[in-house]
Amino acid sequence: MLWTAASFVIAVVAGLAVSAALVATTGADVPQVFGALLQGAAGSPKALMTTLIKATPLILTGLATVIAFRAQIWSIGQEGQVLAGAMGGYLGAQLLAGLPPLLFFPGVLVFGMAAGMVVGWIAAVLRNSFAVNEIISTVMLNYLIVYLLSWLLQGGPWGETGDTVSYHQSPMLPEAAFLPGLFGNARLHAGILLPFLAAAICALVLSRTPIGYEIRGLGHNPVALRHKGVNVGRTVICIMVASGALAALAGAVELFGVAHRLRPDSLVGLGYVGIIVGMTGALSPLGTVLAGLFFGGLASGAVYMRVLGDVPASLVPAMQGITLFFFLCAGVIARYRIVKVAAQ
Amino acid sequence: MTQPLQEAIVVSILVSTIRIMTPLLFSAMGELVTQRAGIWNMGVEGTMLTGAFMAYLVATLTGSPWIAVVAAVLAGVIMGLLIAFMTATMRVDHFIAGLGLNLLASGLTLYLFQSYIRGRAQPTFSGFQDVAIPLLSDIPFIGPILFSQRALTYLALVAVPAIWFLLYRSRYGLELRCLGENPKALDVKGLSVVARQYIAVMLGSAMTGLGGGFLMLGFSDRFLADFTAGRGWIVIVALIAGNWKPRGVLIAVTAFAFLESLATHLQVVNAGVPRQLLLALPYLASIGLLIGLRMRSGQPVRLGVPYLRE
Amino acid sequence: MSTALRVEGLTKRFAGVTANDDVHFDLRPGEIHCLFGENGAGKSTLSSCIFGYYRPDSGDIFLNDQPVHIASPMDAIRLGIGMVHQHFALVQDFTVLENIIVGTQRSGWRLNAAEARRKIGDICGGYGIEIDLDAYVWELPVGKQQWVEILKALYLDARVLILDEPTAVLTPGESAILFKIIHKMCQRGMSVILITHKLVEVMQSNRVTVLRKGRVVATLDTPRTTPDELARLMVGRVVSFTVTKPDLEPGETVLAVEGLNARGFWGEPVLKDVSFSVARHEILGIAGVAGNGQKELFEVLCGARRPAAGTIRLKGEEVAGMSPRQMMDRGVGHIPDDRFREGLVPDFSIADNVVLGWQRSPEYRRGPFIDRNAIDGLAREMIAEYQIATRDEKVAAGKLSGGNAQKIIIAREFLHASGLVLANQPTRGLDVSVIEYVQMQLLRKRSEGFAILLASEELGDLLNLADRIAVMFKGEIMGIVDPRTSSVAEIGAMMAGSRPEAAPRKERVPA
Repeated sequence: MLWTAASFVIAVVAGLAVSAALVATTGADVPQVFGALLQGAAGSPKALMTTLIKATPLILTGLATVIAFRAQIWSIGQEGQVLAGAMGGYLGAQLLAGLPPLLFFPGVLVFGMAAGMVVGWIAAVLRNSFAVNEIISTVMLNYLIVYLLSWLLQGGPWGETGDTVSYHQSPMLPEAAFLPGLFGNARLHAGILLPFLAAAICALVLSRTPIGYEIRGLGHNPVALRHKGVNVGRTVICIMVASGALAALAGAVELFGVAHRLRPDSLVGLGYVGIIVGMTGALSPLGTVLAGLFFGGLASGAVYMRVLGDVPASLVPAMQGITLFFFLCAGVIARYRIVKVAAQ
Repeated sequence: MTQPLQEAIVVSILVSTIRIMTPLLFSAMGELVTQRAGIWNMGVEGTMLTGAFMAYLVATLTGSPWIAVVAAVLAGVIMGLLIAFMTATMRVDHFIAGLGLNLLASGLTLYLFQSYIRGRAQPTFSGFQDVAIPLLSDIPFIGPILFSQRALTYLALVAVPAIWFLLYRSRYGLELRCLGENPKALDVKGLSVVARQYIAVMLGSAMTGLGGGFLMLGFSDRFLADFTAGRGWIVIVALIAGNWKPRGVLIAVTAFAFLESLATHLQVVNAGVPRQLLLALPYLASIGLLIGLRMRSGQPVRLGVPYLRE
Repeated sequence: MSTALRVEGLTKRFAGVTANDDVHFDLRPGEIHCLFGENGAGKSTLSSCIFGYYRPDSGDIFLNDQPVHIASPMDAIRLGIGMVHQHFALVQDFTVLENIIVGTQRSGWRLNAAEARRKIGDICGGYGIEIDLDAYVWELPVGKQQWVEILKALYLDARVLILDEPTAVLTPGESAILFKIIHKMCQRGMSVILITHKLVEVMQSNRVTVLRKGRVVATLDTPRTTPDELARLMVGRVVSFTVTKPDLEPGETVLAVEGLNARGFWGEPVLKDVSFSVARHEILGIAGVAGNGQKELFEVLCGARRPAAGTIRLKGEEVAGMSPRQMMDRGVGHIPDDRFREGLVPDFSIADNVVLGWQRSPEYRRGPFIDRNAIDGLAREMIAEYQIATRDEKVAAGKLSGGNAQKIIIAREFLHASGLVLANQPTRGLDVSVIEYVQMQLLRKRSEGFAILLASEELGDLLNLADRIAVMFKGEIMGIVDPRTSSVAEIGAMMAGSRPEAAPRKERVPA
């Protein structure tokens, strides 16, 4: 446990160092850039709020990653499932319009999660019945979902059209469909409570329930589990469906809490960063929350940094990738399972 | 539709099939070498992207596509070094290492790209043009398809038998295949498994980077985000579909290229089918292909399993 | 007297354990010298140091009385030391020739097979080894595959040959051929180090060095010692070789298998028409070299593999094709041959492993959650009852020795089984004291009224424990015999595939 924390810190530090070097080579002023990042992440109550808001979907997709990766199921469909969740939520908003808030919001979120669960289920069936590697199938599904959304928004039923042009987004949702704000602040949407709740549930399930035992067991030694009566196929389906639900929830929350319309660029990247969040969180729910807050802070800082300086916002994805790389090299994931039992 | 028009369309589809095929072929052959050596490099997408970006960068800086090719190859080698380090030395799970590399590559290339074009119009370059082989390219029908392509295309087609020769007829190829089937067999003879894996991966990644570079230099004049658009994953699917043999991979890559070429042409001709559906065809085909091909016996036995000396 | 190889004062430590402690060992030219000892005695470590896998912390190695420095297997091979490993390092998809020459060609870019062919042909001719160089390894029977391993060393001009447990996968007949050829090699100047824990093999050697806990206990001339003395030296106390097996009348039939057929990955038959029965108070032994269908048989019986045809009746109920879950619920206990892969989750604690498979069972749960207290308490009980050497129940199972890990599996299976226990190679790789313990436990269950199916490569174990022995060869039962009346030679012949006239191949299975 101590080793895990130490590795995380080392990886973050090394990541920051290399990022600093990167910034320097492109000619920008390092202290100014990092100062702006810090300022934008935690320098004011508004910054902290933005950090929380940005961290919310990342923690959820991170948890989706944790659930799957812990069982050695390399699902990288979070990216597509986020979009599916937003699409499901949007559909739900059409169908459930007019319901009182206490029914409406849980309802649309359920619609969103259901969409993600379907995607996860498809990949699970492909793996179980057709031995299709889940990495490939989930990546392919991601692209299919992207194209589906693109069609829906451009010339399809959900698109918004201006006078002669069609934008790549849906019309704005009615105000009744905005997630209510907390503490009287409209921006601080109620959805930010969900990742913490989800993390607590995941932690409880993983460490204290029979299904959690089976998830961890699958990740360590699927052969033994199969011999000892665990229905591996059914467990895989449960895991990928749950993972899909979590990732989709991120998309639905973003739709109703932040973007308020179906717009792909507000959702792009949430899935892939979620993978980074989950892995740098050492595949533990608590670590994922911490990592999610860290990367949320980076995202928040990036907005401020771009306003202030001349540095492209894509520094943040670069930093994320660099940090992940160092984290992998810190060997935590490797040491996490030293004896990898090849599932034959 | 008139006869000559039909024929022209068919020729056009076939010509573009060959064109689309060749960057994929380089990358596929490169990944084949890597996987036959036991390393599952999931970072093909990232390596191709890096190769493409470096090619763009150097091409716009120097104006010479050939120097840019060298840059793409070097980029591939470096990516290969990273993957080899993570998998052969640090023994990180192969899938995670590759995914990590993809994420690193996409973030890094985007940042470097945006820094590079900061505040100005995006520079472009002029890349490779068709090189018609004299006499042969005058043959009706076949001529324009096979003998009037980019220079690197010819190289790619030659690469397939070359890789076959490397794998099955050279002494290095025997050792390489041994790495993927049972590295212990080399270890007990006192040979370094890790060193050989490094070399194989760097060689394979060099070709993969070349594929990405050619994708840029042969068919585009500027970089953009997500430039490779999932082609790296198609390459991996082609490897599985081709049962890890050069000839099978060639067939699989040709099939995908044909599909993409068809989709592009249909977009122009037929406005009834939504554009997105056509774009999605290669990915749908991938899934369908993998469903249909359940038993792939050619997978190297120790693919993806880090070597631990007991 | 000049020595081919000499080791003086060799010490090797690993993380607090002294694997080799001031070991002196010498090998005369042309002799077969046995390294004898239990698992963990230091035999493998010593040979690994000689072959260059490890570098000793102190000590010297002399080759032909010249001091040498062996830093890697490459050095060892160059000096003419060859090693044949217990677990083969072969590429199944390569031909015999390719396996021998891979990595050996020093120059040239094309594969040069012609010269290699000639050289290998000479070697084979000289020693009388028969093998098809162009056969694929997966086509060859295991006994022949070992010759590929040996040829790999001979091709590299080994003058000192280290053989690690060579007869582990051979029938008695194949072992005899192996030793005949080894003797011929020694006549021509080869010096052989034979690593083994089998007394039968030791008696074939010229001299034997007994290792215990890393130290050399004795070096003796083999003709001048006895198996009893060697066993005593190996363990440090008197060892009884036969456990007392009470004579028990077999009761009603628990397991009845008839006409069982199963297919492998490529559709090839792995079990052919297997029929037998096991009754209460009875141990049915399954003899045979590993790889002749035992594993597949156990997989079918525990539910992990679907049979293609045939019936399996458990206490009268038809159970063929049932899942592992269903078999477990019907009280079938399974001790698998691959401890750490099929029987345990090495990263889980001992406590978690004790309930592996029963994690959903109400007695280990409190509502939707796992009842940690109940499980930990149970684990502590098992640790005490089975004398598992560990700090506490939270230690990861993968950190335990093979013997202790096996005890966990036995504890768990005996706890939850009722009626039938399937034991596949339960004593493989274990120390003598643990072997005794396991045998005692099996006999205890037999007395309690269990039916036990026991597969073992050690014929001696089966002759001790089994009431009847079924011999398997290539997925078929060659015969079912009475250990009291059959000889090792007869059983050995069946293990090699010859079907005796007298012994029944099928049993009339009681309904």
